[in-house]
Amino acid sequence: MAVLGKKKKRVSDGVTTAGTADIAFLLLIFFLVTTTFPKDKGLSIVLPEPGEEAQVSQKNILHLIIQPTGIVDVKRGESQQIQQMRPSEIDGLWRQEVTANPNLIAAVKTHPDASYKYMIDVLDALHSANAERISLQVLENN
Amino acid sequence: MSIKGGGFQKSSKASEEIPASSLADIAFLLLIFFMVTTVFQSDRQRPIEWPAAEAATKIDEKQKNILNIWMERDGVVYINDQVHTMEEVTTVVAPLYAASQRALVISVRGDREVPYRFMNQVQDALVAAGVVRVVFATDLEQSMQRERR
Repeated sequence: MAVLGKKKKRVSDGVTTAGTADIAFLLLIFFLVTTTFPKDKGLSIVLPEPGEEAQVSQKNILHLIIQPTGIVDVKRGESQQIQQMRPSEIDGLWRQEVTANPNLIAAVKTHPDASYKYMIDVLDALHSANAERISLQVLENN
Repeated sequence: MSIKGGGFQKSSKASEEIPASSLADIAFLLLIFFMVTTVFQSDRQRPIEWPAAEAATKIDEKQKNILNIWMERDGVVYINDQVHTMEEVTTVVAPLYAASQRALVISVRGDREVPYRFMNQVQDALVAAGVVRVVFATDLEQSMQRERR
């Protein structure tokens, strides 16, 4: 039963602003957590110091000659025998060769007209096979 | 003893609520802190097609210690948003490298179709500038998508 003189129910006519700080915090935390800064990715190599030249015995070199077509000619040290491969097969080849000769150095020689991507494919395969001793050159006299 | 709701005045007048009036200030401070400390990449992206590599790793270096050298398909070199000739690369990079106390990492961003002769010239120029740490920037290749050539 309504009692006389009881106040009417009051309804606030303003939008409540007490929660805005919470909303701002939620947004802030959300973006703090979800933001990832674009980190560059790539294949890192260490260039030789200027004038630095190392003498390496031919038998410790695996020549990888990249042709403009993307085919890789593999030549072991002094032997004249050439084996043709795709860049994706270098991975397995290197693992095989390096167990036979731990001092092996990969000499990547790229034809001047070959696309950069073929060199990256070969370098990628060598990195995948954990090769550390890599020499990058351009193919001369060809 | 007072009976609850018995009409006696409470002895303590301390508020039971955590004061929330400064929350907005804290939020703003954090916002301003992150606005000031965030460093964006200084040079614009150039339209190149990235080569892809499975073994690509993140470059573990501060943004300010990375110098990007862009190589476009026709052999044009961009350093810090400016076109340079191949001969100028050494003279541009060497002072920057010295200024960074040899901490600079060069990120070579070449288009996948660049003839290798240009990449080789850039490498020679970098060796002449005394640079040791170089990264060939690539996209990460997923092994399932690897195209067979």
